[in-house]
Amino acid sequence: MEFFPTRPNFDFIRWMRPMVIFSVSAIVLSFALIAIKGFNFGIDFVGGTLIEVQVPESAGAVDEGRLREIMEKLGHGDAAIVRVGTPEERSYRISLLGSQEENRDLSVQVVNGMNESLGAPVVVKGIESIGPRVGKELRASAFWAIVFSWVGIMIYIWFRFEWQYAPGAVLALIHDVTFAAGMFSLFGWEFDMNVLAALLVIIGYSINDTIVIYDRIRETVQARGTAELESVVNEAINGTLSRTILTSSLTQVVVVAILLLGGPVLRGFALALFIGIIVGTYSSIYVASALLIWLSRRYGHPVPAAPKGKAKARATA
Amino acid sequence: MSLRARWIMIGTITVLMAYLALPSFFSQEQRDAGHWWLRQDGITLGLDLQGGVHWLLRIDSDTAVQQELKKLKSNVETWAEEGKVALTSAEVKGESLDLRGDLPGLRKLVDENLDIVDVAETDGALALSLSSRWKKEVIDRGVQQALEVLRKRVDGLGVREPVIAPQGSGRILVQMPGIQDLKAARGVLESTTFLQFKNVIDAAPNKELLEAKFPNGIPEDQEIVFSQARDGGETEALLVPKEAVLTGDMLEDARVDFDRRNRPQIAFQWNDEGTRIFREFTAKHIGDRLAAIIDGKVITAPVIQSKIGRNGQITGDFTREEAANTAVQLRSGALPIPLVIEEERTVGPSVGADSIRDGIRASLLGTALVFVFMAVYYSVTGMFANAALLVNILILLGLMSMARATLTLPGIAGVVLTVGMAVDSNVIIYERIREELRAGKAARVAIAAGFNRSFSTILDSNLTTLLTAFILLTFGRGPVQGFGVTLAIGLTASMFTALVVTRALMDFFYGDHPERLRI
Repeated sequence: MEFFPTRPNFDFIRWMRPMVIFSVSAIVLSFALIAIKGFNFGIDFVGGTLIEVQVPESAGAVDEGRLREIMEKLGHGDAAIVRVGTPEERSYRISLLGSQEENRDLSVQVVNGMNESLGAPVVVKGIESIGPRVGKELRASAFWAIVFSWVGIMIYIWFRFEWQYAPGAVLALIHDVTFAAGMFSLFGWEFDMNVLAALLVIIGYSINDTIVIYDRIRETVQARGTAELESVVNEAINGTLSRTILTSSLTQVVVVAILLLGGPVLRGFALALFIGIIVGTYSSIYVASALLIWLSRRYGHPVPAAPKGKAKARATA
Repeated sequence: MSLRARWIMIGTITVLMAYLALPSFFSQEQRDAGHWWLRQDGITLGLDLQGGVHWLLRIDSDTAVQQELKKLKSNVETWAEEGKVALTSAEVKGESLDLRGDLPGLRKLVDENLDIVDVAETDGALALSLSSRWKKEVIDRGVQQALEVLRKRVDGLGVREPVIAPQGSGRILVQMPGIQDLKAARGVLESTTFLQFKNVIDAAPNKELLEAKFPNGIPEDQEIVFSQARDGGETEALLVPKEAVLTGDMLEDARVDFDRRNRPQIAFQWNDEGTRIFREFTAKHIGDRLAAIIDGKVITAPVIQSKIGRNGQITGDFTREEAANTAVQLRSGALPIPLVIEEERTVGPSVGADSIRDGIRASLLGTALVFVFMAVYYSVTGMFANAALLVNILILLGLMSMARATLTLPGIAGVVLTVGMAVDSNVIIYERIREELRAGKAARVAIAAGFNRSFSTILDSNLTTLLTAFILLTFGRGPVQGFGVTLAIGLTASMFTALVVTRALMDFFYGDHPERLRI
């Protein structure tokens, strides 16, 4: 089976201008959204206590309202209460802003108080409590992790390719991360540790995709020179197109399986990846390659004698 | 390398990895049984899958500094007395120790005795504060002591494979898999389970009656403590000296025991010094009452019948569990510096089981779809890629088992995602071979060119992704870190399997009959 029995020849360059405008506005909008609206951070990042309980049948009818009353009685009127799953499962998630750092026995007190008010012991499915200091540190290290990966990749590409390739690749990564993060901000989806991990995986995936096209551009430049860089780039994109489609759909198949069947814990993670794989594939073409063309037109594009990896390739063959 | 040599290498790696990965499919009991073919090291399930308690604790550094300053205070007082330097007052104020008196003399004294203290002179006082190096030492020492105490206490709870490790400066990570009773677990953190023995000076049924006996107020070196039965009745107010006869730090051992009526009691044993003091005291006070006080609460206050030496028991109104917990805490000594819970995660066992089931089902389905897709899209060579992928998964499991990696829920997602990304190397190679064929090259040439020309792409794309995996490893914490490990191993293995395993299969099947190539 083949997607393209003959070599595809789509004119990607024709759409470059409108797409670049779209990408730039997407980055700007995402940044603005994140700056203004911010994230719905999970307690990993802001600190707080989260208690998930299952109310036993013997406690009678239960809903968010009844639990809220109980929490108010316990002196936690500000607690957020959300049902998890179907009403029949009788599971609720209670989030409190206070962390155990201020009151070591907070979670124990809440569970005991609930047991008393409900007249039956609840099943504690999980407790998470994060101090504000840890949350702050985590936000800082998340920021640096992302920035360092951008810088690291910039240096790598500069070293392995030419400098003209590096800004495009990194801009594509910035594009992908801000776009995915912007979606989380826009829809108010919870941003937790796993979502952060997903953003870093998006960086890994997106650079992988960009490199495959870059590699082909480098190779084609050697054969054809840089006179018609646009058509060289177009040819490289077409030449790697079936690989791009195949790999992104295979990875997406796995992500969708996790998204639909992997349970609530992994949902945010899978959702971020789902968005990231789409924009990561797109950005290799309309951000990375576009900036490469623009920089090469303005500052020239050297014709390398031989790609640096080639010698090694022969040696291992 | 000849095809034969490559097969030997692939075979050796596969068998080795299968051997390494095997224990992960067996239970801990079976691993411990000592079969020659079964190693003990395997992948352990993370707390999110197994259920249990996770804490990130921080040494309360303010208290630690205060305690150190108090020690410093008594040292300075001794030096001043010995050196006959006038010291009118010494008091701990915030983060410093303020000395007043003969300032030049005191400064000389400090210079002679201490080399890592910051000295400042403010409004007629000499302010000593701990230098940053000293502070760090104090915190590090506090961490070491706390680790020791925590280890003993967690052992006492009977936790299998707990993690108790320092994390950065002044922090301790504690993980107790399988622990569900949060209240019992919290006992581990109680800062001072403090056992004191005090002689009872006077007693009355309640506080008012006891106070009534002292119209001039209770003497300054004495205090009132209470004993209370479980049902709330039968309270008694006891007047005891503030200074204890003996304290729990002279205990050598403490454990649960049962009295003649099979009620739980705490049996203890003094060390040599404790034995001496206890014997002398009880000999002198036969007929008096002696109160055993744990954390300020009178547990029992019996009359001393005879001289007691090394061994004794405390009987009281407690359950077996309470007695056991108290014994463990007495045995491990007090936590010298309080610990602050910075992060706590508890997972119930049912949640763990649910997430394992969901995670594994999604993973298997995702992987199966990838296999089917490859077989349909590339026919026979797709099966080669699948074989390479299986070796890849085996290497991943093998290395993770060897490293005793902890598998968390995001870790499972990482394994599956690695599967998705690992096929990329094969896809790049196969697409290249197709292109070469389309350009009219002979099958044999096309295969060789496909592998050679894909090499730099595969190398570059995998190295950059590895870079992000290492950043996940460095900056992430807990589950995210595990995820980084999985990704890094999986990607490295995928380069090997795509370039070596797939190549060997292609050479084996098409080496002599390139015309059979179906791709």
